[in-house]
Amino acid sequence: MNEEQTALVLEKLKEKYGSSLLAHAEKPDGVIVVVNKENAYALLEYLKTDTEFAYTYLVDVTAVDNSQLESELERFDYARFIVVYHLYSYRGHPRVRVKVPVHERALRIQSVTSLWNGANWLERETYDMFGISFEGHPELRRILMPDDFDGHPLRKDYPLRGRGERESFNFERQNV
Amino acid sequence: MGLDFGKSGEQMDGNILTTTIDKVVNWGRKNSLWPMPFGTACCAIEMMATLASKFDLSRFGSEAIRFSPRQSDLLIVSGRISIKMMPVLKRIYDQMPEPKWVISMGACASCGGVFDTYTLIQGVDQFIPVDVYIPGCPPRPEDLIDAVMQVQQKITRGEVPKGLEQVSASAHAVDAR
Repeated sequence: MNEEQTALVLEKLKEKYGSSLLAHAEKPDGVIVVVNKENAYALLEYLKTDTEFAYTYLVDVTAVDNSQLESELERFDYARFIVVYHLYSYRGHPRVRVKVPVHERALRIQSVTSLWNGANWLERETYDMFGISFEGHPELRRILMPDDFDGHPLRKDYPLRGRGERESFNFERQNV
Repeated sequence: MGLDFGKSGEQMDGNILTTTIDKVVNWGRKNSLWPMPFGTACCAIEMMATLASKFDLSRFGSEAIRFSPRQSDLLIVSGRISIKMMPVLKRIYDQMPEPKWVISMGACASCGGVFDTYTLIQGVDQFIPVDVYIPGCPPRPEDLIDAVMQVQQKITRGEVPKGLEQVSASAHAVDAR
């Protein structure tokens, strides 16, 4: 990846969203920007709709639970979760990872399904695994776990062997 | 077959004749087991290899894979079963006509294998009766052939499938009352 291109993306983002960027970094495989929740949608919209960048491919939406990692908690304003968007541009621009800290007291963030249709299932998975609500999502329900499942398994406080679901799950499920 | 037809009907024990028919029926059953594959993971790849020309399960009369449970009498559970998949498996098992046999293929189906996690069934025998278990991760095709042959031996010996055994046991319990 060409360093000039990497610098160009960062410059543009700093210019437009300088005050809402909490941190940024250049990595060999692209750019990382940490942006606050209020301006995350605007930044993502800019990256997608800008005619020069045209980040039309949303590779992944996922989250990280930092609740058991003190150093990471400090870095991200003591937000327990970080929602991560991976973007790719077919114009040859470097990959962009957008990280958005989400506090446990307000476990919601604006959905990007209006920008990328592909975000639909990715956000459902993030909701299923971490319990983060995506506002404006057309159909926010569990995608991997059964509908009547209790809890969010990828949270760090969820026990690996579960809470007895595998022995006592609901056998008479409607969607069989 | 060794029956003395010179004897009168009264001397002939009815049981001899019944057993013989059972034997003929079991001989037919054992040589035409129609498997219902329930392949959810890598064990299914080994199952496919078993059915293909190199290992050729048709040598044992089990090449007629039925993708409808209503036409099959041998359920091969090959792969890990999650709590979301278990009701599906149970439903397919229920739809199979009696008598039916179940092979639990590989570590995951038999005990959860390495997946000791919140969503994985730790052994399908908690929910459906299993006749033959195959160890291995995944088992070799020879292991699956061996399991099919064990089912055949069970049928030859006139053993009742695990599923029917449990049904008849509960029926006896009702009788005893």
